[in-house]
Parts: sequence; structure tokens; C-alpha cells
Amino acid sequence: MKNNRLFKAIMIGGVLAGAMAFTSVQAAAADLKIGVLVADVSGEEAQGFRAYYENYIADNYDVEFVYTDALEDAAGEKAAIEKFVSQGCQAIISLSSSDRATQLDTCEEYGVYYAIASGVLDDELFEAYKGYEYFAGQVGPSNATEFEAGVKMGEFFKEQGVTSVAMYGAFIPNPMHVFRAAGVIAGLGDTYGGTNDMGGMIGQIFADQKVDPAKVEGDVELCAYLQGYGDTTTDEINAVVAKEPEAFLSVGMATTFFTQILNEAGIPFADIDSFTEANGAAIKEGQLVYLAGKYSSSIGPVFALIKNAVDGNVIRDEEGNAPSFSQGYLVATDGASFDEYYVADNGDTPIYDKETLDTIIGEDVTYDDVKALVEAN
Amino acid sequence: MSIRRKVIGTLAIPVIVGVILEAICLAHGQNVITNMKSFNNFVVYTAIVMITTMALSINLNSGRFDFSLGSMAALSAVIGAKISYALLGGGSGSAYLMLAITIASGALLGLASGCVYVILRIPPIITSLGVTLIYEGVLYTITGGKYVMTEVQNVSMSGFVGTWIHAAVLILLIVVFVIFLFDHTRFGYNYNALRSGQKVAVNTGIREVPNAVGCYVVCGALMGIVGFLNAARNTNINGGQLNFGSIAIMFTAFLPMFIGSYIGRFSNDKLGYLLAAVCMSLLNSTFAVFSNSITASVQSIINAVLLVVFLIYLNNEDLLTRLFVTRGKQAGA
Repeated sequence: MKNNRLFKAIMIGGVLAGAMAFTSVQAAAADLKIGVLVADVSGEEAQGFRAYYENYIADNYDVEFVYTDALEDAAGEKAAIEKFVSQGCQAIISLSSSDRATQLDTCEEYGVYYAIASGVLDDELFEAYKGYEYFAGQVGPSNATEFEAGVKMGEFFKEQGVTSVAMYGAFIPNPMHVFRAAGVIAGLGDTYGGTNDMGGMIGQIFADQKVDPAKVEGDVELCAYLQGYGDTTTDEINAVVAKEPEAFLSVGMATTFFTQILNEAGIPFADIDSFTEANGAAIKEGQLVYLAGKYSSSIGPVFALIKNAVDGNVIRDEEGNAPSFSQGYLVATDGASFDEYYVADNGDTPIYDKETLDTIIGEDVTYDDVKALVEAN
Repeated sequence: MSIRRKVIGTLAIPVIVGVILEAICLAHGQNVITNMKSFNNFVVYTAIVMITTMALSINLNSGRFDFSLGSMAALSAVIGAKISYALLGGGSGSAYLMLAITIASGALLGLASGCVYVILRIPPIITSLGVTLIYEGVLYTITGGKYVMTEVQNVSMSGFVGTWIHAAVLILLIVVFVIFLFDHTRFGYNYNALRSGQKVAVNTGIREVPNAVGCYVVCGALMGIVGFLNAARNTNINGGQLNFGSIAIMFTAFLPMFIGSYIGRFSNDKLGYLLAAVCMSLLNSTFAVFSNSITASVQSIINAVLLVVFLIYLNNEDLLTRLFVTRGKQAGA
């Protein structure tokens, strides 16, 4: 009996030791460990980005990605960075923008490289932080690009002859959404608080913390407006549907939250999101008539900046500061134009595939190399 | 109480609320119900509020404060959505299958919650907090903290809440079922006896434990229906409701519960909950009319103020009655 117990104990101990050894081998497998800060875990764009990193980049490079849950505030972002550091992450990629200044300060404090993959710092903030040692750079649509994306959406519907629209402000006062919303109003030919100047409009929207329909004036009426997502959102979107607008213009996330409702209501809608399968279905079979989007592998260059930095080649611009590259949006207005981008950037054949990324990963890569590639795509 | 007084007492609040809200809307050139879509929303929202109120009141009237209602609704909805999608892929009949599975899983979750209460024998307010955290954790584990969308975004689901008929049938069936169960069965007699005087009821031979567990099962099943209706109406289920994020659903039912109990004095408290839900739905439809100017936070404040005002009235009802009677007599003299 005693021998039997001893045998069992040895067996259990052996299995545990084996499991621990296996785990340590697994943990040691990745040469580079990157923590990714995420605010949105459900959105089409966020899931496309994640799939690219986890299913393509992680398969083709010696890297492990660790993700946060949905971050809601600056404190959560700071705590997540500290947790990543304790888990041995050498770098942080940010897809969360509650407080990027604190993110940068925290990464600088702990000595981990940091890059922004969604949106960019505003000019003032970038000036303040571009010299940080561990700031590896930012790649994404600039604020002017965000505004322009909104303008084009507004102009599209203005040309269609709409006279009454509803609008979803997503997560205003998120700067990205503020710039897009201001652009939409300008594109519709309307003014906000008496101006259609970008600076004047965004200043007022930041101050209002929302788009106030009463301040929108012009030929196209803003008959309903909502923003955010919470307990009352369904009531608010139902109120929008009841007002029967000719179009529903969103500056982000509408395809995630409202596709079904808008399809059922027969209200044509537009969004700024990404080229994913679900959005393809919405534009081919539903009421999505305008999509300005990024493709999922557009975050490839950010990975390259981080990998170079960790490997010792910290890319810097001509003045020795962190690089900032602007990306534009692609626009689809029907199934064919959607497929043009979606098919080109899909699964095992992303636009930023390994062969392409390898041209900007390495000890000899320069700022100009990365700039040329980003601008070419 | 005369039939005339019963009818007036029962219908007074919903009629007054309806007239006031319609007058406010008319003053701005609108109506509370603007078209068929808003009527559909009105009936569906009435069903959600009424069922939540009934589920809340069943245990609360017996002194059992149950925080886990929201987590039961969300978790049972996710279970129903996942299973029905796995079986039918969002095709024809998905909504009915999900409703059936959601009711069954809600009842099971209610059973588990009830068993925790009767086995641990610690105050229900504490056990329900623990159960809430567990259910929210399971929900988060199943969904990864994401919104469940694909499983509930299909024609069958949207068709279910795209018309007022399904919600109206559910309202009718549930009112009949709850009145029958709690007013015309042995289970209901025992429930009412325990509610009125627990010690006396137990001493007369009524078994408290099975009755309490039965109440939790009924609450769970009702919250399953709420979870289903919310999923169909919102076209998603929030899978990231950690740290008591699911509790909010319960608070939407407090005001209608107090109003319903008040109306119940003149007729039946279950009918009162239905009429109170109609009042809340009228208010919700009015908020929709003024959605550009009344934000979500303002709506919350208005709801909270109404709850406080009504509670102040209930707590000072005798005082007010005496005040009016005295003044009436003085005026008469």
C-alpha cells in the first residue's frame, strides 16, 4: 500500500514537473513579447487588427502578443502597462486612447518601448513627447486625415441629395471621433456654431463634449444625434429610427452596434471602420452604403517599429525624434469596391505580409525606408 | 371597496401619466407614439419592464433582496444564444429556440441561486452578491468580455421584436401565469402565507425551503425571458459585465414595482406591475421623442427623482390624507 502511494506521488510529481518544464519551454519560445492595450474588444476593426497580429505576425515572427481586456480609463491603461512589464513584455502597442500621455510616461518610467497603432497624438502632445527615449513612433491617420475622412463621407451624402440625416458620434470626446464628426458636418455643407472651419468646429465639439444638433445649421438637417454605448443606447437608436432620417452617418463603431437595426429599418448608413467579413456582408446585403476603412494589416508597420527598437535599431526622423507616419482611409461604396481591398488584405495574404515587412525590419533600416513603404500602401 | 373606486384607483396613474406625457409632446408638436416602429418599441419595452418588475417583486416582497437578476438575464441569454446558434446557425426558428433555451437556463440559474441561499442560510442580500459575481465571471469566461453579436443578429431575432404582437402575447401569458401561480395554487397560497407571517406559516406546516427555491426558479425563468428580449432588442449581449455591471437592470424595476404595488391595492398587484410598466414605457417613449435634448444621464436623473418623489408620497400618504381631510372639513365648516 505504502509503495502504491509512493508510486502515485512520484507519478503526480513527474507530471507536474513535466508540465512546468513544458510551460517554461513554451514561455521561452517567443523572443519578443509585446503587450497590446485595447479599449474595444468587440469592434470589427479591433478584431481584424487582433487577428492579423495573432494569426499572421505571430506565425511568421518570433513574437508573442498579450492583450488587455477592454480598457475604460487612464488608470486602467497605466495598470495594464505595469502588469505587462511584470509579465516580461519588452514593448507596448497602444490601441487605447484614454490618456496617451500617461501611457508614454509610464512606458518611459519602466523602460519599455511604446508605439501607437490607432490614431495619433495631437500636434501639441506629439511635440511634447516625440523626444522620449522609449517612444518608438506612431502610424495611423493624422487628425487632419480623420477630418478629411469625415468631409468625404458628408460630401458623398450631400451629392446624393439628402436633406435630413442622423449622426452617431461614437466615443466623442475621443479626438479621432471629434475630428471625424466635424468633418462630416463640414462635408454636408453645414456649419457648427456658425463656423465650418476645422479648428473652430472641433474646439466647440470638445467644449460641448458632444455634437449639439441645435448648433448644426445648413441645408442638411441633423434630425437626431447619439453617442457612446450603454444602457440607453437601444432607446436612443430606436428614437433615431422613429425619426426616419434619410441616412445615418457614423464616425465609428456603427457597423458593430447598429447594422441589424439599421438594416431592418431600411436606413442607408455610413461608417468609418475597417474591411472585415461582417462589414462586407453589411455593404453587399444590408444598408451600409459608404465605408471608409483601414485594412487589418495596416498596423504592420507599427510592429516593425517596435521590433526594430527592441532589436536595437530605434528608428528616428531627421531631427532625432520618434517617427510619425500618417495613413489614409480607403473608401468602399459597394460590394465590388469593398472586395478590392478586402480580398487584397485577407488571412494568409495581408497587404503587409512578411516579405513586405522584412524590408523595414533589420539593423540597417532607416526612417526613409519606413516612410516610403507606409506612403506606398 | 366599490367597483367604481377599484377601476378609478387602478387606472388613475397610467391615465394621468399618459395624459401629462402626451400633453408635453403635443406642446412641442409631437406625439408619445409617433409611428408603428415606436409602438413596437413601446410594447417590447413594456414587456421587459413588467417581467423584470415581477421577477424582482417575487423575492423582494418576501424579504429576499436578489442582486443576481441582471446576471441571470445576461448569462441565460448568452447560453441560449450560443446553443441556438450552434443548432440553427441563425436560421428560421432561431428566436423561438433561443427563447426556450433561455427560459430553461434561466430557471436552472435561479435554482442554483436559490439552493445557495437555502443551503448557506446567510442573508440573501449577501448570497445574491456572491452569485452575481459568479454568474458575471462565467459570462465573461464564455464571451471573453466581448459583445455577443453574431449569434443574435439574424432575421428571426429581429422579426421577434420587429412587431408588437410577440411581446403582447408574452405579456398576456406571463400575467396569466403569474396570477395563476401566486393566487390560485397551493404554491401561491404558501408563498402568500410565508410573506405575511413567516413564523406562523412555518408553524402551521408550510415548508419554507421548497417555496423559496421555487420562487428563485420562477424568477430565473422570468429573467431568462428578459435576457432574450434585451438580446433581440439590443441586437447584442454585453459579455463584459464584471464587478456588478449587471445590477443596473434590477434598478429599472424599482419605480414600477412601487407604483405597481400601489395600484395593486385597488385590484391585483400583478396587474399593477403591468400598468406600472406601461407608465415607464410611456416615459421611455417620451424620452425618445426628446432624445436630442434629453441625454441618457438626464434620463437617469429624471427616473431617480420620480422614484424618490413616489417613495416620499408612499411614506407620507397618511399624513397627506389627514391634511386634505382636515382642510376639507375646515372648508366645509
